[in-house]
Amino acid sequence: MSNVAPANPLEMLAYNLSLLIEDGQIVYVGTGLPMVGAMLAHKTHAKNITMVFESGGQDPSEGCDMPWSVGDPFTFRKTPMSMEMSVSFGQCALGYVDIAFQGGAQIDMYGNVNTSVIGSYENLKSILPGSGGGNDIGSLTEKSVLVGLQTPDRFPERVDFLTTPGYLEGGDSRVKAGLFGGPIAVVTQVGVYDFEPVSKRMRIKALNPGMTVEIAQACTGFELLVPDEIPMVEAPPDEVLEILRTVVDPRGVFTKMPGT
Amino acid sequence: MGQKYSTEDHLKRLVDYKGAREFHLNKDRRKRDKRMSLSEAVAEFVWDGDIFAETGFSYVRSPIQAYFEVVRQQKKNLTGIGSPMSNTSYFMARGCMTGLHLSYVGVEMRGNDKNFARMIKSKTAEIYSIWSHGSMAQGFKAAQLGSPCIGSKQLLGTDMFTKNPYVHVINNPVGEGDDPVCMIPALFPDVCIIHVQQADRYGNAVIQGPAINDVALAAACRKVIITAERIVPEMTIRENSNASIPFWYVDAVVELPYGAYPGCCPGHYYWNREWWEWLIRIGTITQENMLEFTDRWIFNTKDPYDFVEKCGGIRTIDHARRLAEAAAGISDDTAISFHYDEVIPKRD
Repeated sequence: MSNVAPANPLEMLAYNLSLLIEDGQIVYVGTGLPMVGAMLAHKTHAKNITMVFESGGQDPSEGCDMPWSVGDPFTFRKTPMSMEMSVSFGQCALGYVDIAFQGGAQIDMYGNVNTSVIGSYENLKSILPGSGGGNDIGSLTEKSVLVGLQTPDRFPERVDFLTTPGYLEGGDSRVKAGLFGGPIAVVTQVGVYDFEPVSKRMRIKALNPGMTVEIAQACTGFELLVPDEIPMVEAPPDEVLEILRTVVDPRGVFTKMPGT
Repeated sequence: MGQKYSTEDHLKRLVDYKGAREFHLNKDRRKRDKRMSLSEAVAEFVWDGDIFAETGFSYVRSPIQAYFEVVRQQKKNLTGIGSPMSNTSYFMARGCMTGLHLSYVGVEMRGNDKNFARMIKSKTAEIYSIWSHGSMAQGFKAAQLGSPCIGSKQLLGTDMFTKNPYVHVINNPVGEGDDPVCMIPALFPDVCIIHVQQADRYGNAVIQGPAINDVALAAACRKVIITAERIVPEMTIRENSNASIPFWYVDAVVELPYGAYPGCCPGHYYWNREWWEWLIRIGTITQENMLEFTDRWIFNTKDPYDFVEKCGGIRTIDHARRLAEAAAGISDDTAISFHYDEVIPKRD
């Protein structure tokens, strides 16, 4: 029996994010779990990735701690150069960025994201921080990955406000709108989802250990597409968990469960 | 300065490229010593009713101590703009800002700004338009390029158009076939304050680390105030040839060490992380907390030195310097700990 404690749901989430990154890619990194996922990938299977940031840092040197913010000096530590914000986003449109990550208060069945309002601007229930760089990376990047805690409220059939485009109304509506790329995956505490190639509806791709289709559906406000065979995500190897806990996020800033 | 705006309506003035040009044409462009005190610079160049642009990355090399002076001088009817714009909340709470062109108001993972939400919900302040960071950055960049508008692949397909009267989708007029593009107008705020690591007395300014949108904003804004950690001899800047803002854009130069504190200033100091967590997690929660917080840190604080003293003085600011140098990799970071006691409010 291993004496390494099994992954908690946040660690599982970070691990699944890391697996979506391939070696050699240029990765657009935001704060929080995506940063953990990218750094874990960099320390394990994808040693030759290049990380770029909206605040301007490009390919920073490895640091001694986690950035506190996406504008932390760690994100431009000994960087060969930094770019202005408009120029850094421009790279996504130019085809120099392979993969980017995006969180949101709501994610819908076509991978559209809301970071603007719950309710509407005319009838506000709550106001969220706004797009930030979300719309930019989601509009321009070849492959984007959506990250969120999955509940029926957070995964409605239709977002209250469409801040960042996924596949819009499904089918070819994203291409017709003139957008590039699109979301390739959604990663939650339950598992990993992708989008069915024709309808562009969200589909279960793999479930985390202990999760079932019923749990996945119960956490979702719309009907998930369910393929005939659904693989389980294998628990992360002990050495990967060790790296996550001792090197990537040693203070547990992003991967320690609240209240533990 | 004696000049007036040719367009009084601030919503139109934001995109009035002819008016901005006219204003720039009438600025005193002589190379002269522009040094003055912070209170003089804010009093002279930040006007009631201005479109006020946030600079830096909201809390990275941002002129936060100058923002506090704007609040202390109780400027009125300001409109906020910037990407990002996380200092909006206290401008609104203290009655200085009555509306904004919104890209992002928040402190990333630290939580949502409940004061900002309250201000909007109670209609104390109004959202005039919404943007993404990149589309707004393109608007500032278009201004810097001298281009009245720019074709973008951002915002397409979204609901952002329902809350942004400035942007329009057209078919790319210089492309072939179906090719929707979002036309973004050049954006011209009235005033910005930019904090830099080095400037000379004339206003040539050196930015160390990411410039974010500041080079574009310095060109776009009608009025520009520079606050600087250090005022250096002009020849220092000439020898390195590394200014990114030329003196003729600049109206005032203020020597202001710790001017970006409690934010982070690359090469000088790391954030006071507890301060931001206190602001977002305790300060913004109720109107009463927000007033108490801003009383303490803005109205009852004279200047950056006073602010640093209240945060713990030399020990705090020296630790902040060590963290900034360690994060940047310019000191031996092996014995530096980034641990701190996160501010987590107790819940009953």
